[in-house]
Amino acid sequence: MLVVYLMTEMEERSGPPITLIDPIDMSKLDPTFRDEIKSMPNGEALSACFACSTCTAACPIANMWKYKPHQLIRMILLGMKEEVLSSNEIWLCLTCYECQERCPQKVRVTDIFFDCKNLAAEEGKIPPNVVALAKELLTKGQLYTVTADWEREDMGLEPEVPGLSVEAVKTILKDTRTRKIVGGDE
Amino acid sequence: MSNPVLIIGAGVAGMTAAVELADSGIKTVLVERLSTTGGNALNLYKAFPTDDCFYCFEGNRWRPGIRKCFYRSALTEQPNIDLKMNSQVEEISGLPGNFSVKLDIGPQYVDPKKCTMCGLCIEKSKAFSLVSPQCQPQAVVYDPEIEDTGTTSAAEECPTKAINLDAKSTKKIISVSDIVIATGYHEMQPVNVDEYGYGTHPNIITQLELARILDPLGETKGVLLRPSDGKPAKRVMMVQCVGSRDENYYAYCSKICCVFALKHAAILTQDHEDVEVSVVYMDIRTYDRYEKYYRDTRNAGVEYIRGRVSRIEPQDDGSLDIIVFDSLLNKYLKFSVDIFVLSSALEPSAGSSQIISSLGLKSASGFIGAINPETEVVVGNRIYACGSALGPSEVPESVTQARAVVSKILQSKE
Repeated sequence: MLVVYLMTEMEERSGPPITLIDPIDMSKLDPTFRDEIKSMPNGEALSACFACSTCTAACPIANMWKYKPHQLIRMILLGMKEEVLSSNEIWLCLTCYECQERCPQKVRVTDIFFDCKNLAAEEGKIPPNVVALAKELLTKGQLYTVTADWEREDMGLEPEVPGLSVEAVKTILKDTRTRKIVGGDE
Repeated sequence: MSNPVLIIGAGVAGMTAAVELADSGIKTVLVERLSTTGGNALNLYKAFPTDDCFYCFEGNRWRPGIRKCFYRSALTEQPNIDLKMNSQVEEISGLPGNFSVKLDIGPQYVDPKKCTMCGLCIEKSKAFSLVSPQCQPQAVVYDPEIEDTGTTSAAEECPTKAINLDAKSTKKIISVSDIVIATGYHEMQPVNVDEYGYGTHPNIITQLELARILDPLGETKGVLLRPSDGKPAKRVMMVQCVGSRDENYYAYCSKICCVFALKHAAILTQDHEDVEVSVVYMDIRTYDRYEKYYRDTRNAGVEYIRGRVSRIEPQDDGSLDIIVFDSLLNKYLKFSVDIFVLSSALEPSAGSSQIISSLGLKSASGFIGAINPETEVVVGNRIYACGSALGPSEVPESVTQARAVVSKILQSKE
């Protein structure tokens, strides 16, 4: 980043900034966020992270991410609660567990992202496509409706999936947080 | 009667070499420039890896000593050690086995064998002081420069008659068979590294200065106070590699500063209440088992930031606003801290270059270089070096090297 040093006296605190650097003010972050994550079932080893970025090296999709896995862990440690919980990345995680497998300090990276998703959900911060999926599950009891199409016919299968019961799934989900996420009382 | 062995410098390495040679029946002359032995290690408060006072390292405990501190009895009672305090080597000539050494021996105002450190003289005159309760030899120190009206009566009323105000410095030429160089290191005063502002603000200090603050025997009695106004300090930031691994200053890694900083971070978070510590680093190099300090301090909540310091802005309330570039996050972070500690490079001690040129030794980045890398401590014909004179080294390593020197000398005497 370009740094501009003013030639004038530096006594004046008001006026234009001394540099164009706009740092993250640590005093405005939430230092309790680290402890909040640590207190959750998967967060115990969080502070063992020494930022080697093995997790990012292991991740098959992090090249698409604005914040890489090691940066998300850094952000948790620094207390950037708002940014982490409203980040898209925790939802993009494939949960393939490569990062967690490889972590040399036994940080449960993937599980910590699950914890983050749960915290975000508590605050209602869920991407609309995830809400749509939940709604689909809740109303139809399955994500993909099996249709009586030519492929089944070609394979000699009956038009309906035998023994498929979506009602049980729908009933169970109504009593879980999935309904809370979707909202409403349908 | 064979010639004694000359040991230059009574720090960890020099003392170990002197004591172990003396115990093996070899006469030694131990020359120390200052008024107390111990060198830099005396000011470390707790030394890694055991977090003990370095005088009491495990390997030394077998020796019955006064107040459990074996160096006292060894340095003043062991007849094979001729301890020369406040003294310097002026010139070395002659041949291996029979070097001729010109010594400038400082005046011995206080006899350590008689002094009981009762404190009477200190009460009577400002010219007397106790460098540290751990100082060796265990005796008060007299400074003729600040002599006052109470000085004479202090000397006369000394209950053990340990004080001789008329002592003079003397020059002496001695013959020695071997020379052991144990001149240690010096912590660089980072005044020229502009971006860290050392010397421009009292709350910007070095690691050795922090060790003095943390030491319960120091001026603040171990309470973490801001040097600027004596108010309690709650937020400490350290920065690694100040002048080390830097072609503008010292290209080498000073090796022990990481563990040094981590040890201080551990003391700050474990022995003090509500102190927040951040460490700004390029690489944390906790070789060998010292990785434990790194993991323990991370668990204790020490914040490690990989990156460099961008700006320091002193505030009116005595605190410092510090902007750090976090290279892992690719973001700038702004901290408010009370004390900013520089892990400054460890450089060769002042006389190093003179010894190298006068004895025709090899130089290794200003430290004394080995003739052959396989025998690290042999630096010339019947000339040896140990401890940080060879390059920055930790206490156990200095002790090991000193013992290697002792072994080499004993072999050559057979």
